Amino acid sequence: MTTATTEKKRRGGVLREEFGNPERRTAYYMILPALLIILIVAFFPILQAINLSLRQSTIAAAGPFIGFENYVEMFQNPDFREGLSNTLIFTGVSVAMEFFIGLGIALAINRAFRGRGLVRAAVLVPWAFPTVISAVMWRLMFQDQVGIINYVANAIGLISQPILSDRTLLLIGCILVDVWKTTPFMALLLLAGLQTIPGDVYEAARVDGANVMQRFFRITLPLLKPTILVALLFRTLDSYRVFDLFWALSNRELQSLSTFVYEGVRISQLQFAQGNAASVFIFVTAFLLALFFIKVLGMQTSTEE
Amino acid sequence: MTLLGAGAACGGGGAQSGDVVFAMGTDTSGTLEDLVNKFNEQHKGDFQVRYRQMPSDTGQYFDQLRTELQAGASEIDVIGGDVIWPAQFAANGWIMDVSDRFPESERAKFLPAPVDSLVYEGAIYGVPWFTDAGMLYYRADLLEEAGYSAPPKTWAELEEMALKTAQDTGTQDGFVFQGADYEGGTVNGLEYIWTHGGDVLDGNQVIIESPESVAGLQTEHGLVERGVAPKAVSTYKEPETDPAFLGGRSVFARNWPYMYALAQDPETSNIKPEQIGIAPLPAGEGGQSYSGLGGWNMMINANTQKQEEAWEFVKFMTSEEGQRQRALAATLLPTRKALYQDQQILDEVPVIRLGKEAIQSTKSRPVSPYYSDMSLAMAEQFNLSLKGDVPPEEAVATLQEELTKIVEQAD
Repeated sequence: MTTATTEKKRRGGVLREEFGNPERRTAYYMILPALLIILIVAFFPILQAINLSLRQSTIAAAGPFIGFENYVEMFQNPDFREGLSNTLIFTGVSVAMEFFIGLGIALAINRAFRGRGLVRAAVLVPWAFPTVISAVMWRLMFQDQVGIINYVANAIGLISQPILSDRTLLLIGCILVDVWKTTPFMALLLLAGLQTIPGDVYEAARVDGANVMQRFFRITLPLLKPTILVALLFRTLDSYRVFDLFWALSNRELQSLSTFVYEGVRISQLQFAQGNAASVFIFVTAFLLALFFIKVLGMQTSTEE
Repeated sequence: MTLLGAGAACGGGGAQSGDVVFAMGTDTSGTLEDLVNKFNEQHKGDFQVRYRQMPSDTGQYFDQLRTELQAGASEIDVIGGDVIWPAQFAANGWIMDVSDRFPESERAKFLPAPVDSLVYEGAIYGVPWFTDAGMLYYRADLLEEAGYSAPPKTWAELEEMALKTAQDTGTQDGFVFQGADYEGGTVNGLEYIWTHGGDVLDGNQVIIESPESVAGLQTEHGLVERGVAPKAVSTYKEPETDPAFLGGRSVFARNWPYMYALAQDPETSNIKPEQIGIAPLPAGEGGQSYSGLGGWNMMINANTQKQEEAWEFVKFMTSEEGQRQRALAATLLPTRKALYQDQQILDEVPVIRLGKEAIQSTKSRPVSPYYSDMSLAMAEQFNLSLKGDVPPEEAVATLQEELTKIVEQAD
């Protein structure tokens, strides 16, 4: 029986195999409504955005079909290019920093020591704040009248202008706040991964004479790889879509891909179509990013083999 | 697109079918409800007005209105709206042309700038309700200490007086205003351009690229460059301006009339109202004083089923009596000229007495259906020029190009 099935599959008879069996057919009928709902809920808005991005659309009407003109204009728009480069720098730098610092913290609190539970809860505090709140809080500290960080940085000669008036400093500020906020989350994910590595593997390695470095690079890292990939993918996609942190911390001044979409679709009267094009761009590139993690880096998407 | 759907769905509150629905942002003074109640009292048995509270954030309010109006399904009949909205609504046919009901003879009783804000392609789309104007606040006590007896008339005088007074009296800053990249930054930038004789639009023609505009932006940037205003002024909005001036850290400030009321509260202010003077904004070389116009208008939804009732309500709210009541109780500046001669108002609302001149020299921001886009472009370039990232000549040239593109798309 099993060999017959594989035989059929190999010849491309999958469809007949699936629908020829009455029991299976019933099963498909039963999940059909759920599938339809998913299609409508998930895919309709996406298709609609794609549709609008290919037309000369405004907030009031879909307009005539104009092909990829919106995309061409979007790439020529300096605001979009600024948003793109800010987003890429932000994602690259903040995820890298979060990973290395998070891994350090995870390794540190993976050891058994007194009060470990308390420490684990405590490191999560920054992550528990809503992003908008922490962004506004940090903005106050960066501000020139009451901002302690702005005062100290100017006093010790690190900078000679108000932080909030300079876009580069604003971007650095956003990265630091994001690292402050999400490193604990990264650490916690990695810690969970670390704890699934059985202790006897290390014991065996020690018996075989492996030193600390060898144990880390030959055992910890390879066994932690699945967790690392999941954590990196989560964080990369999250930072790639950054909106609230930029919007609140820079008071709308710093452009990211998402703020570009918002400005186009919700504030501007003329860039509605470009905003839609940008939202499709974010969707497609985020999707490719996820594919890259799964196909190239070999991330496992399910627990089954 | 899903966002739009959700917004429209939320709009369908339970209106009683006979009610005229009046939309306006949150009113913290409570005077709005008093007036609506009074109106309802007078029209008992006839029809009633229901006040529907909208977001207090102007941008969000605009966004919600735009969503409802473009869906054509709004329950709102009367709109209390910002002075920059009429052209954007009128161009889409969302608000009613009231030219016949509000004739020239009637309009002449109002301040000219608020009326201008309602005129689009020759027709008028509402009635001015209350107004707002940029004003120069100064520390009368500090100026006196430094030997000055009157506020500055020109920007050059302001610069000189601010520097000397700040130095003589040990005050941290000379002058603060709103230079951030947002709507208020646009208004401030425009004031520098206007007071130097420049302008943005002449009919449908973009004319921002001129020596006058460049001179205006140069003055603005010069204030920072020469240390009159703090560098951080390029990040200031109103909430940063208030504590800088009321906290006693600045000699001069450009702000709206509301700040005067804050000075009366020792919790928000280290200085007393007696220490504050108010003057029209300074003029540039060869220019005259102009203040950016703010404020609110009453407009009527073009699709309303209750035109007569709605107009009745608009007339009531914008009447002399309606405006007087809000001026006295909530320090809102009237749009009717006659009220600036009203002794009770002049006595009880000092900011109206002190700011009279500024209020009467207001100028409306460019009237265009695509004002939102124009403002985004201006706010950004003004901010870059203020910070010195872009020379004024370049900012003005960029704006000439960008605004022309926007105006062309509008046709």
